[in-house]
Amino acid sequence: MKRSTLLPMLLCRMLLCATLVALVLCAAPPLVSAAKVGAVAPDFTGTASTGKTFRLSDYRGKYVVLEWHNNGCPFVRKQYNSGNMQQLQKQWTRQGVAWFTILSSAPGKQGYATAQEENDYLAKMQAAPTAALLDPNGEIGHLYDAKTSPQMVVINPQGVVIYDGAIDDKPTTDLNDVPGATNYVSLALQQAMAGKQVEMPATRPYGCSVKYADATH
Amino acid sequence: MQRRSPSSWFYRTLTFGPALLLCAANAHAEATPITHGSLELIARNQWIAAGHTLDLGLRFQLEKGWHIYWVNPGDSGEPPRVEWQLPAGLTAGAIEWPAPRRLDTGSIVDYGYEDRVLLIVPLQAAPTLAAQQPVRLGAQVKLLVCSHEMCIPGKAELSLTLPIKSQPPAPDTLTAELFAATSKSLPRPAPGNWKFSVTDANDSFVLTANVGHQVTQAVFFPLAESQIENAAPQKLVTEKADFRLTLRKSDQLLKPIDRLKGVLVLSGDQAFLVDVPISKAGAVRSNSGNGATK
Repeated sequence: MKRSTLLPMLLCRMLLCATLVALVLCAAPPLVSAAKVGAVAPDFTGTASTGKTFRLSDYRGKYVVLEWHNNGCPFVRKQYNSGNMQQLQKQWTRQGVAWFTILSSAPGKQGYATAQEENDYLAKMQAAPTAALLDPNGEIGHLYDAKTSPQMVVINPQGVVIYDGAIDDKPTTDLNDVPGATNYVSLALQQAMAGKQVEMPATRPYGCSVKYADATH
Repeated sequence: MQRRSPSSWFYRTLTFGPALLLCAANAHAEATPITHGSLELIARNQWIAAGHTLDLGLRFQLEKGWHIYWVNPGDSGEPPRVEWQLPAGLTAGAIEWPAPRRLDTGSIVDYGYEDRVLLIVPLQAAPTLAAQQPVRLGAQVKLLVCSHEMCIPGKAELSLTLPIKSQPPAPDTLTAELFAATSKSLPRPAPGNWKFSVTDANDSFVLTANVGHQVTQAVFFPLAESQIENAAPQKLVTEKADFRLTLRKSDQLLKPIDRLKGVLVLSGDQAFLVDVPISKAGAVRSNSGNGATK
């Protein structure tokens, strides 16, 4: 190639590259936390209270629900003492949804449980998640920026987050508020499964703060 | 220890007993214990004056390390809720919320109160109310008291007995100072000559304010949930007479909003109600905080 044409050609290629890069960046999803609605759910591997390992990406092709849990939190107790959470777990796992209860409390903090303690709790509460994942170092919690318990995330079979937020529209600790509440998890699953737009894709999660290890006092 | 004669105890009771009863009958009831604190229903004045508004107050005292929440609790928690049981002719208004504090646990930020707070509730008395013997005002308060470690829900049944008179109101000297201090510190509309604007800067709202003097501290508390990212630091840039406060948008803010409403707290705990339209352009408008609703 003649030297006189080399430089313009390089410049041309650089410009082309730059344009392509710019286009790709513009087309990419907005730069928000990876665990947000519309973005691909960050992959993780968790160890269940049964000792078995679960990897999120193994569940491509299925809907997945993530449920942040702290058995001492009155907002969580509202859902469990009313039997509501267990009923949701049973209802949706029967429809092929994978349901993961996640415990992100650090050791010594409210909501932390050993494998045995969690298995006892699941049995006592007649809970029916696919698995309860023990996340005492808060890795999965931080990956999803889980702020409260309960906090619910729904992921579609393509691995995209379609819901992130509160369990329902009654942000109280009162058991009496469960029956009349609109359950956002069920709503998201029903709508997505029917091929419809998820009406309420993100709501303010309500509950107790997740008791991570690095919480300052 | 020298034994006192039974008759001297008798006379003490006779003297102090009625005084104690009198104390109970005025606008200063006893505090009810609540989880990690106490709660009391008090009144600014000695009686309910027909045709006037009487400030009632929910007086919270909390143990160190425990807090309750503001109307917008922030990332977690729940504000106290009151249900009133009132005789006919009396109507309770909404809680007048003092400016909250930022309760920071690192990954989340809540808005609330520690130590002690008085939540004022105005009580309107119909002008047609007849003067009568003391009436009972009842309040059922649902509350959530939290520490960094845990939250404990609770309920308190409060009551206060006050006479209704046709005479103009007279302050209760026992509660006057507390009500005055609280009223003084309530968020108020910003001065008319202050100018505010809010621009939508994609992932943040930028609040620009011209307040005529240099500001060293500014914190914004949104009245509505899910508008700003509570845990994000609020970057403050100050100039001589104005400042800019950058407020990161909440991940739950999916639809555009027209206005930003909330409480702006400047140095010295000066709290102002702001209600500013949001624009794309950076034009500074005159203060629209006048007449802002609480």
